[in-house]
Amino acid sequence: MTDLSRRSTMGLGLAAGAATLASRRARAQTPAEVKIAMLVPLSGPWARQGILEQMGARLAVDDVNNAGGIKSMGGAKLKLVEYDTQDSAEKAKDAAQRMIAQEPELVGGFGCWLSTFTLAATEVTERAELPWLTLSYSDLITGRGFKHVFQSSPTADRQAEEELPMIMDLAQKASGKKPTKVAFIGDNTASSVSFMKPMRAHVVADQGLTIVADEVYTPPLTDATTMIQHVRSGRPDFVVFQSTNVPDDKLLADKFAEFNMKSDRLPKIGGGGHWAVPELLNVAGAENLEGILVGLANWPGKRQADLEKRFMARTGEPWFGHDSIFAYVHVMILKEALEKCGVADRRKVSEAIHALDMTDGPALFFPDGHLKYDEKGRRVGAKLCVVQWRGGKPVPVYPPSIATQDVLWPRV
Amino acid sequence: MRYGSTPRLKRDLITLGVVSVAYLAVSTFVTNSYYQLIMTLLPIWAAFGVSWNILSGYGGQLSFGHAAFFGIGAYVVTLALVYWNLTPWLGIPLGMIVAGCAAVLIGLPTFRLRGHYFALSMLAYPLAILYFLQYLGFQEMSLPMHRENPAAFLEFTDPRLYTVVAVGLLIAAIFVCMLVENSRFGLALLAIRQNELAAEAAGINARLWKMRALVTSGMIAASAGGLYACVLLVVTPDSVFGMLVSAQAVVVTLFGGVASVWGPVIGAAILVPLAESLNAELGNYLPGIQGVVYGVAIIGIMLASPDGLFWTIRDRFFRPKAPAPLPVSLAASAPPPTRAATAGSPLLKVEGLSRSFGGLRAVSQVSFEVNAGEILGIIGPNGAGKTTLFNLLNGVLSSDAGSAILGGESMLDRKVHQVCRMGVGRTFQVARSFPRLPLLDNVIVGAYGAGLADAEAIASAAQALERVGLAAQAGLPAGQLTNKQLRLMELARALAGAPRLLLLDETLAGLGRDECDDVLDVLQRLRGEGMTVVIIEHTMHAMMRIADRFVVLDHGRVLASGLPREVVEDRTVIEAYLGKKWAAKQDA
Repeated sequence: MTDLSRRSTMGLGLAAGAATLASRRARAQTPAEVKIAMLVPLSGPWARQGILEQMGARLAVDDVNNAGGIKSMGGAKLKLVEYDTQDSAEKAKDAAQRMIAQEPELVGGFGCWLSTFTLAATEVTERAELPWLTLSYSDLITGRGFKHVFQSSPTADRQAEEELPMIMDLAQKASGKKPTKVAFIGDNTASSVSFMKPMRAHVVADQGLTIVADEVYTPPLTDATTMIQHVRSGRPDFVVFQSTNVPDDKLLADKFAEFNMKSDRLPKIGGGGHWAVPELLNVAGAENLEGILVGLANWPGKRQADLEKRFMARTGEPWFGHDSIFAYVHVMILKEALEKCGVADRRKVSEAIHALDMTDGPALFFPDGHLKYDEKGRRVGAKLCVVQWRGGKPVPVYPPSIATQDVLWPRV
Repeated sequence: MRYGSTPRLKRDLITLGVVSVAYLAVSTFVTNSYYQLIMTLLPIWAAFGVSWNILSGYGGQLSFGHAAFFGIGAYVVTLALVYWNLTPWLGIPLGMIVAGCAAVLIGLPTFRLRGHYFALSMLAYPLAILYFLQYLGFQEMSLPMHRENPAAFLEFTDPRLYTVVAVGLLIAAIFVCMLVENSRFGLALLAIRQNELAAEAAGINARLWKMRALVTSGMIAASAGGLYACVLLVVTPDSVFGMLVSAQAVVVTLFGGVASVWGPVIGAAILVPLAESLNAELGNYLPGIQGVVYGVAIIGIMLASPDGLFWTIRDRFFRPKAPAPLPVSLAASAPPPTRAATAGSPLLKVEGLSRSFGGLRAVSQVSFEVNAGEILGIIGPNGAGKTTLFNLLNGVLSSDAGSAILGGESMLDRKVHQVCRMGVGRTFQVARSFPRLPLLDNVIVGAYGAGLADAEAIASAAQALERVGLAAQAGLPAGQLTNKQLRLMELARALAGAPRLLLLDETLAGLGRDECDDVLDVLQRLRGEGMTVVIIEHTMHAMMRIADRFVVLDHGRVLASGLPREVVEDRTVIEAYLGKKWAAKQDA
């Protein structure tokens, strides 16, 4: 090789190096991508809920990117990185640890559906100062003084305080009469226990109700006959279920139907997203579920009719529900915060989420139409909403902002 | 300290120091927070493995439920922090105390079981605690974050500091393990593991040592669990009491090497990073890949080297050098061989001793006396009740009736090791050795069993080996000895406890004529030194040479007793041995 050619080769190399550096710097100024994370159960017993979240999140990311990305950042695209909590708190926390280590550019994220997983994972995200949005209910999640965790659902203790008054209200409006007797059937898991505590302590008495049956079982439920006999002999005006999984829900719905106490004769209220999933319809059947009310933290209402159609067309799911809409709105909230701060910096994004106070845009994906988090990270004014099984589909009936139909309550 | 432990201890401590420093040096260069976590988990799991190794590796008491102690440590730290705001620096020691108490409560009923039954019932404890905690509502506990003065609450912003604490914990655990291994504690455990009955017959209180091992082991496991909680930040019953937690301790130890200080460390050093980095890289696509790695590792290691990597590597590449003979001075410092007993006076008096198994009267109304300094031969056809008689005398079996008085004290209704402490040495029909231990250690077990202190025990064992003529083989593992040497080893082990009375069960069984003569010479020499011996034997010619008197048993009863010549000419004895026809022929 001659001197000349060696020199020219070197020159070429230097030039190439400079070009790479230049392009890298250019990318740093306006990132082509902004990474957000989703950490949900994609395997194990809760995988179905995680997959429903995944569907909503992917739809949201595509919607954002198709609409031109983050405008304040030169049209930067959102990139969703997905992590699996698997089936235990330990693994969820481990996945969070991996996520933080492997994706240093993350600006925010959401998950993990089950409160246990969220509690574990946020111990990691909080230490990494990563803003984290969650639909989980446990009040512990935002009771730890964390600065970067945002809880969009009403907390479990709030739900307990709200549910009965809301039901009483619905019943009065629909039937013109205030119920006076209530029966409870619930399991003994943590969330049920914490839900029932304020109920038994004062909520029931505050509403002028008497408890005529209070049945507690250890899941999985194998036989509901004796419990239902107790409930029947108490002649309650309505029943509140505090079960935590689909098989137990199915058994309860079936048994009440068998005892000729479907919801046209005895109103029933279930709590939690599992009472409104397609699987329950498949196993319990539309007939036995008809009329059952379900208290939930969020549900797409009439405002989202178009989105619901697109979601169903894209995923083949029979409806757009609790888990999917939460994931959708969480992506939208992160997008909104990025628009506000204009930099891919997780601390700035966290500040921007704290500063949000909106009644439009992503706020409209909540039944109460308000998006603001208090200093603890709890969404201000978060309220329960109620859906009712009608002809094999959960239909929003409360609050009026999302309701597509009026509640049905038997006039006894 | 055990004989020869000082150089081993020194070598191990140097290795420990070098490895720890190197590990910490490497950990300072790790910046990926997930790999930092792995570097912290490795010593924690290794320490947990060390704790399991003490009970199950050295002691052979297989525990599938070590998560019980690990979880207690984790939960005590967490609950103390949540409810009393007690820093984990104090919470971990508190957890160790609680786990120690739990170990006593668990050990008391569970050590009544042996082998598989013990292993399986240990499985139940963590599961029971798991449900209990769920019942109490401690499903998910998170360790509160302390923004002020985090280090005082074992919370660090730099994850590498967790690694330093974890390494410190592991060093402490290994140090305890070294102390155990190199003391009579470890020797007692090894003896129990290899042959519990032989250990007890050598005077070791197996129950007590097992309990000590369980408590020590439980406390180390609790400290590992406590630190684990601090690293995990969130504690659920499943993550600290679950089956996989118990399995972790078993797997790292089995993989690395059972009953070796380094085993759990080697196992953890290979498996934890392997599984965790596979999980880090593939966990999103192949959830549960760790479980597969552990499964494959355990199957592979069971097939390739059932004792673990450490032993396979050592046996292949670091053949232990031929052991040096014992220094002569050792034996010389031993106390005089036997306690002086007035020759001719009765030492053991057995009267009306009986024991039946259902309808079978194995030993029935047996009475005899043994005079100090004599050799009494117990003979009889197969099934005559000879071994049962010995088992009654040394506490393996309890008697239905009768008495056995040794020097004024009853031998009955005592545990095996207590009988040994009375000055009764015992050997078994099938030699019961501790095959992995060197010959000297096999014999020292007997000396420890008699309650001798370290130096005395070593001297007494060396002297016992000399008395049976095995001093040259002192360093060989018992597994490499010939049958004759094993017989002599058992004899030496019995002698090391300086007994007043030796019970020898078919010591000559399976020996060739020459070998037989060698053993007989040893016995004769012992008698010369004033030892009292009761020996069970089939081979009449050998007994004729050695025994002073005979007791003949048949169908559990004493058929005849007296001087050898009289007894062999006794008609009933001939009938018992050779049948009535033979007796009739003799008469004719």
